[in-house]
Amino acid sequence: MKKRGRGIGLSFYGTGYGNGFPDVSNAWVRLLKDGKIGVYVGGAEVGQGAMTAFVQIAAEALGVPHDRVLLEIEDTLTTPDSGTAAATRQTYNTGNAIKIACENFKEKLKEVAKDILNLNSTAALEVKDGEVYLEIFPQKRVSLEKIADFLGGNILEAEGSFTAQTTKLDPETGQGAPYWPYTFSACGVELEVDTITGQVDILKAVLVQDVGRAVNPHLVEGQMDGGYAMALGYALFEDLNLKRGVMGNRKFSKYLIPTSMDVTELTKIIVEDPESTAPYGAKGIGEPVMIPVTPAILNAIYDATGVRITELPITPEKLAKAFSDFEKEG
Amino acid sequence: MINIKLNVNGKDYSLEIEEDKRLIDVLREDLRFTGVKEGCSEGECGACSVIMDGRIVNSCLVMAVQANGSSIVTVEGLVKDGELDPVQRAFIEKGATQCGYCTPGFIMAARAFLNRAKDPTREEIREAISGNLCRCTGYNKIVDAIEEAYRYEKGI
Repeated sequence: MKKRGRGIGLSFYGTGYGNGFPDVSNAWVRLLKDGKIGVYVGGAEVGQGAMTAFVQIAAEALGVPHDRVLLEIEDTLTTPDSGTAAATRQTYNTGNAIKIACENFKEKLKEVAKDILNLNSTAALEVKDGEVYLEIFPQKRVSLEKIADFLGGNILEAEGSFTAQTTKLDPETGQGAPYWPYTFSACGVELEVDTITGQVDILKAVLVQDVGRAVNPHLVEGQMDGGYAMALGYALFEDLNLKRGVMGNRKFSKYLIPTSMDVTELTKIIVEDPESTAPYGAKGIGEPVMIPVTPAILNAIYDATGVRITELPITPEKLAKAFSDFEKEG
Repeated sequence: MINIKLNVNGKDYSLEIEEDKRLIDVLREDLRFTGVKEGCSEGECGACSVIMDGRIVNSCLVMAVQANGSSIVTVEGLVKDGELDPVQRAFIEKGATQCGYCTPGFIMAARAFLNRAKDPTREEIREAISGNLCRCTGYNKIVDAIEEAYRYEKGI
């Protein structure tokens, strides 16, 4: 018999390393010969879109178009340490470090511009659209190319460093503020369970993610789609089948991950509530997008069948058995 | 050793190869078409997908001798006169790539599908790429991209 049910899952997630661990990102910003700006960070791009977000944050902070920012990442010879691409921390931590480095860089640019423009102060100097100019007398202006020319071989460079706020939990009381910031998500699914075969078909799914501010909404959606699919596999298919420490399911024919046929259309809702400590309000969402999905699926299975599932993945065999046990016990 | 002839991306090759080589080995190692990715090596993931005489195949499951005399298209063969294939353009436009490892296989599967497709539904697109696995994207943006590529080609 086919039974339909609906379920929701809600989650909050503390981003960053947490629990008092030093959570540091560093960034360097350098004026290049042609007036373009080099940004150097050790944060890794693993497909999540860190490079795009870094360039966007730098371009915003420097007031220049994206194509004037040249990003160098991951190379330990040429970039400072920006921590791991883990813990949902790169956009927030390294984004902050880049923003700070860009602000320091602008102050250094103003110092040089002051000399070139024969000014007696850097006050009221503005850096925008590849130029440094005096806001109260805009005829006084110099381009970044000219500044680079003026400097000749001398390097104009600034650093930025950001350490996330986290306190260690008291081992006695368990009190503390282990993470900052937190991000919030919600998922709702409607599904159909075949109680004979144990097959679960997701009919509709909605995922809502608080992101502080979406640096790039397209990339945020991509993360939401990916997290949803991964959680779907976690709930319904993926089983390492560990026996005495040996993985039983070592192939894609046994360790099943969702295919394009298993993943249904997903309605994605991005919630923007800027975070005051974040670069332009942007929080990380890499891990949180996955979290509320599995509880939503399990709640919907309960709603459909009355069976509470406590072991993952809920494969068809397990669900069919759980339902028949439930019926027998009444 | 054995001699085979292949046409790859429009160019003819005569090759002397070891008998136990798979098509993927010849493409990657002998001809350096490294856009063909090796994932699972057993026909489950589709990362090594190439078009062989108009059909999509897992190049890890085809022995090189079986491909003798055939025409192969890899992702490197899609660019025409410096212009990206509509499928490649749509993948970029729609953000259908994340880590990128599965991407060449998906692009080839999409290309083979669109060569025959008429007003494809999203469900048909999903079926066409169901032999390719992706861990990052959740597939939705890949389906968006293939729909978009169809629109590019039809000028709609």
